[in-house]
Amino acid sequence: MKTMTTVEALNGALDLMMAENDKVFLMGEDIARMGGDFGVTRGLMAKYGVDRVRDTPISEAAIVGGAVGAARVGMRPVVEIMFADFLSECFDAIVNSAAKVNYMFNGRLTAPIVVRTATGGGFSGGPQSSQSVEGWFMNVPGLVIVAPSNPYDAKGLMISSIETDNPVLFLEHKALYRAKCEVPEEKYRVPLGKATVARAGTQVTIVTYMRLVREALAVADDLAQEGISVEVVDLRTLRPWDTETVLDSVAKTGRVVVASETPKMGGPASDVSAVIAEEGFGFLKAPIRRVCGLDTPIPFSIPLERVVLPGKDDIKAAVRKALV
Amino acid sequence: MVLEPELMLSLYGKMCRMRAFELGLEREHKRGNVPGMLHTGLGHEATLAAISANLTHTDSFFPYGRCHGLAIEAGTPGEKVMAELFGRATGIGGGKGGPHPLADPSVGNYGVCAVIGSSLVTAFGAALGWKLQNTDRIAAVIVGDGASGRGEWHESMNLASTWKVPLLYCIINNGYAISTPVGTSHPTADLCEFAQAYRMPAIQVDGNDITAAYEATRAAVEHVRSGKGPYFIEYKTWRWQGLWSGEFRPAEEVRYFRDLHDPVKMARQELLRRGIASEVDLAALDKEVDAEIEGWIDFAKSSPQPDPTMVTANVYAGMEVASR
Repeated sequence: MKTMTTVEALNGALDLMMAENDKVFLMGEDIARMGGDFGVTRGLMAKYGVDRVRDTPISEAAIVGGAVGAARVGMRPVVEIMFADFLSECFDAIVNSAAKVNYMFNGRLTAPIVVRTATGGGFSGGPQSSQSVEGWFMNVPGLVIVAPSNPYDAKGLMISSIETDNPVLFLEHKALYRAKCEVPEEKYRVPLGKATVARAGTQVTIVTYMRLVREALAVADDLAQEGISVEVVDLRTLRPWDTETVLDSVAKTGRVVVASETPKMGGPASDVSAVIAEEGFGFLKAPIRRVCGLDTPIPFSIPLERVVLPGKDDIKAAVRKALV
Repeated sequence: MVLEPELMLSLYGKMCRMRAFELGLEREHKRGNVPGMLHTGLGHEATLAAISANLTHTDSFFPYGRCHGLAIEAGTPGEKVMAELFGRATGIGGGKGGPHPLADPSVGNYGVCAVIGSSLVTAFGAALGWKLQNTDRIAAVIVGDGASGRGEWHESMNLASTWKVPLLYCIINNGYAISTPVGTSHPTADLCEFAQAYRMPAIQVDGNDITAAYEATRAAVEHVRSGKGPYFIEYKTWRWQGLWSGEFRPAEEVRYFRDLHDPVKMARQELLRRGIASEVDLAALDKEVDAEIEGWIDFAKSSPQPDPTMVTANVYAGMEVASR
């Protein structure tokens, strides 16, 4: 084990998979010479050459659409879309091409692609470079959406994402790139579609993912001082998400807060809440509480952005409400 | 220039089969036996026969909605193509895809995308995939003139030419995108002019003339297969069917293309003129082809509808995801 950042863990996963399988190749804007905006692909062009690590023009549709085509002839592309906001430019390739291939062709063609992208706010990126767009894609059958909260999961999930025959939208939160934890240098997998209990507790469950896992764990620490026992479920995969782990936790605690950085309407928190209401209503001792971004664009100004994005205090307040 | 008698006869056979297929399909659609929206390749037979005759089973082609003829000529059993268009369980996509995918990778058919022009980037990716695998396989994308309005048109051609991938652009310019004439929505009605800025060799041919279409395609495939990069062919042709609007084109234009410049009639006249076949031979061929198509239609009609339990199969590859 070695202490690694998320950037190093992801870089290690790509390196391992490229060494193991020459069908794996990378494409994206400024990922080769520069190594990507956040350094995730740094050093890989030097190691694997310009054929397998390719700088593209600003052509999101060709990056993702091209990945779908290359996958159809046996390649395993891992492509980068610089910011999640720009997924609008390759929405068609993800939604109408990649996610429907296996179904429309009745299992005779698949789309094993990974689309990596930097997501999330908190950096004065402004309304078009700060969004959490998972809600756009929650409604797309056939797509896998991965959302790791720490370097260990990021590496294991990246390896699973490259190995699956399904198209994966791999979200990387900007606030987590420099997060650190112990990560094995060898190959290991974290399964797709499986949540994990990041902290066990008995009185209230917080279901969340990515950056807000860190905030939820801090809330759990704080509330433990007051004798309140909080369980934190880290979804890790948003589509298909692990209903079993969530419902098991709610069965135990009977109280639940669902937290997501997306706007409140139509995001993952809505879906998780709906399934708990439908299938776990009998467990509930209090109404489900959602903690989300405001239903506004994300402003540039530092104090305004803080109002929009959910944080530790919002989660803590929601937990207290759930306990009433 | 003239084509060898045997080749001419074989191309004419393809054209007749395509014509009979579409006429049979159109008849069944009018009778209510074929669900959904029908787009036929009536009028495109020479172009499609030329493309089909110049690709091999190990190439990958990306057809568009008026390419039923390419699907059957590539070698997919005709009854399975017909059954898919009837939405039946025995169809090539199990009735799930319908007219748009019709994919059969075993014969090089990588499927239609109903979003006009998106195949331009997918095919670019397939060509890149073949290049990375150091094969002499090529990709071909077949689109109508309407695709030239998409951003994907630019993204695909820009990258295909810059990276010199083995991609053949087959642009079937039938003059109209649904009802909009090409020349009223583009600065030119001659789409091959676009290729110049991408530094791609290009040719414009009469897509109703089988000899011209065949020769242009043969030379283009040779260029692409030799590793020199993409090639652009514009086939000027005409379609019989007004898409939604019924017939909206000037009567004189309709008369010209249906009576004087019909690709099947023109090829037939050449066969007779050159003494390659007699009226009797050609009547026998017509009869044979009609019987074949009616057999496919009977197969499709008598095939079962898909089992409702199949609806959730193949949403994901190798992942069981509960549908809630």
